Amino acid sequence: MNGLELEELRTGQGGFSVGPVSLAIPSGTATVLLGPSGAGKTTLLRAIAGFLPLQHGEVLVDERPVGAAPPEARRFGFVPPNLGLFPQRRVRDNVRYPLELRGDPEADSKTDRWLARFGLEPLARAFPHTLSSGQRQRVAMARALAAEPRVLLWDEPLSALDVESRDSLIRLLRDLIESEAVPLLLVTHDPTTAFALASRVVVLEGGRIRADRTPEELARGPLDRFLARFLGYENLYTSAELAGARTHPLGALLADRGGAGGLAIPPDAIAWQPGPAGPHEARVAALRWTAAGWVVALRHGPLVLHSRVPGAVPGVRVGDTVTLHVDPHRLRPLENPTGEAAP
Amino acid sequence: MDRSSFAGRALSVVLSASLLGLFVLPLVALVFFAGPGGLAFGFENAGFRTALEFTLLTSAIAVGIGVVTGVPLGYLLARYRFPGKGLVQSIVSLPVVVPHLVVGIALLLLFAPTNPVGTYTASLGLPIFNGIWGVVLVMVYVGAAYVVLTSEIAFRAVDPEVLEAARSLGANPSEAFATVTLPAAARGIATGALLMWARGISEVGGFLILAASVYPSLPWAGPVTQPASVWIYGYWQINPGDAAGASAVLVLVALLIFLGVRFFDRTGLGWLRGGGIT
Repeated sequence: MNGLELEELRTGQGGFSVGPVSLAIPSGTATVLLGPSGAGKTTLLRAIAGFLPLQHGEVLVDERPVGAAPPEARRFGFVPPNLGLFPQRRVRDNVRYPLELRGDPEADSKTDRWLARFGLEPLARAFPHTLSSGQRQRVAMARALAAEPRVLLWDEPLSALDVESRDSLIRLLRDLIESEAVPLLLVTHDPTTAFALASRVVVLEGGRIRADRTPEELARGPLDRFLARFLGYENLYTSAELAGARTHPLGALLADRGGAGGLAIPPDAIAWQPGPAGPHEARVAALRWTAAGWVVALRHGPLVLHSRVPGAVPGVRVGDTVTLHVDPHRLRPLENPTGEAAP
Repeated sequence: MDRSSFAGRALSVVLSASLLGLFVLPLVALVFFAGPGGLAFGFENAGFRTALEFTLLTSAIAVGIGVVTGVPLGYLLARYRFPGKGLVQSIVSLPVVVPHLVVGIALLLLFAPTNPVGTYTASLGLPIFNGIWGVVLVMVYVGAAYVVLTSEIAFRAVDPEVLEAARSLGANPSEAFATVTLPAAARGIATGALLMWARGISEVGGFLILAASVYPSLPWAGPVTQPASVWIYGYWQINPGDAAGASAVLVLVALLIFLGVRFFDRTGLGWLRGGGIT
């Protein structure tokens, strides 16, 4: 296979071990390594880049092993979390650096091309510390690509960006990995980036792969409690909680749809309208403002359901009675809980 | 501005001005005491000019040795853990706290022409006692610690991620050191070198014991002379006014070199580092 492969790779640092990890990332595709802080994402990426020794397994590029090669011989475009820009070099000299190193006679024209591709020409003479986060990210990406890498390894490259900058960089990245025909392994803790960019999403927890799926499979396929929580589901109920809610009409419906590990409901699958109207009645328990709108906590028997309300006014007060509507097609039954005991 | 912040700022201005006054007023007194005659003596006296040239030569050699040996030690201390590291750091700081008269005595005891080490160095063409290499040795001993300490701090400040980025872009460890680490630490190293140089030309105690008078030997082909500070100390016993004039000239030369380094830092060093210093 053309691309990056990890075979039973094991590594570690400071008593923390990662692996075994096996992955295949074909050229021209992006795989996102997703996981909470401390899951081992950065440790794994640094081992692939050659900065940590492999305890077991192999790293292959285009079917050739590179696990014993030093970082400079691997030709991996590694972008660390803080980007690693050279503070004493201007933007142009940062991008030119890998071309200078190998004495490329076309260094100037190639540098110009990468600066243009990332819209960096007006900033060519600026020093990194004068740039915004988004501009710095673009410099790091342009520099990594100027090295004509065989693999791209990027650690949280979009973490400090606003939504607009992140989306525009994601579009650029998708184009680039296709046009340059390189595999990209990108580390993030942000599911939104993962879903927008990846052809595969690998979820890491405690140094081990918890899931290796396409975004589509993650969005529609089976989940467990860890994945559901990590993907941002606010309404998570164990089987025992659902069983306790069977005495209420909506609780019984939800209990019937739950899996062995319980049930997850996305907040936008829960709608409501003010006023009591029959058995699906709930009481407003709390209101919370978030950047995406109001979150209304609704108590229905023993269950508390969180519903997201776009707009500046929640339309209800704490203690008001509302009628609930839950979209049955958006309910996600959960598989057996692994690593997290159901109460 | 409220009253308490105004009072705080006024107090800090008064305290800062007091210290600056302490730095400047003795020099003003020196110039006044020397008068036009003393200053003319300082500029024109051949003996002092020779001593000054000798001091500038020896301090340049000493700084060269200090940088060549001190920068690698600073790098080791910044980047590696090894047994006895704390002891090494204490040894590096030792010359800063030992009285320099004691430094002179200790070096004399080691390099006296009557003992094997002194005889051996003399046979290599490196006379220590009353020789140019004795002056250089004292300057290195009392000043190299500044190069080690400032370069250690400078290397420590280089972000390891920057080095990893350089490696993954194709630089081997030596290239990453030369193109990333060293340029990033250049300013700290230059500061240490300047401090070492300043410490060297202002030294007296060690010279008085080990090399109060210096006889010609390579690379000093000039007449018998003394380090400028020792020359001034000796002349102070004969003619205080002329000694004050020579002192003022020494201060002026030191000031010009400091200003020159600052100017280079703003213009030339930026180019050396592959970027500017802002």
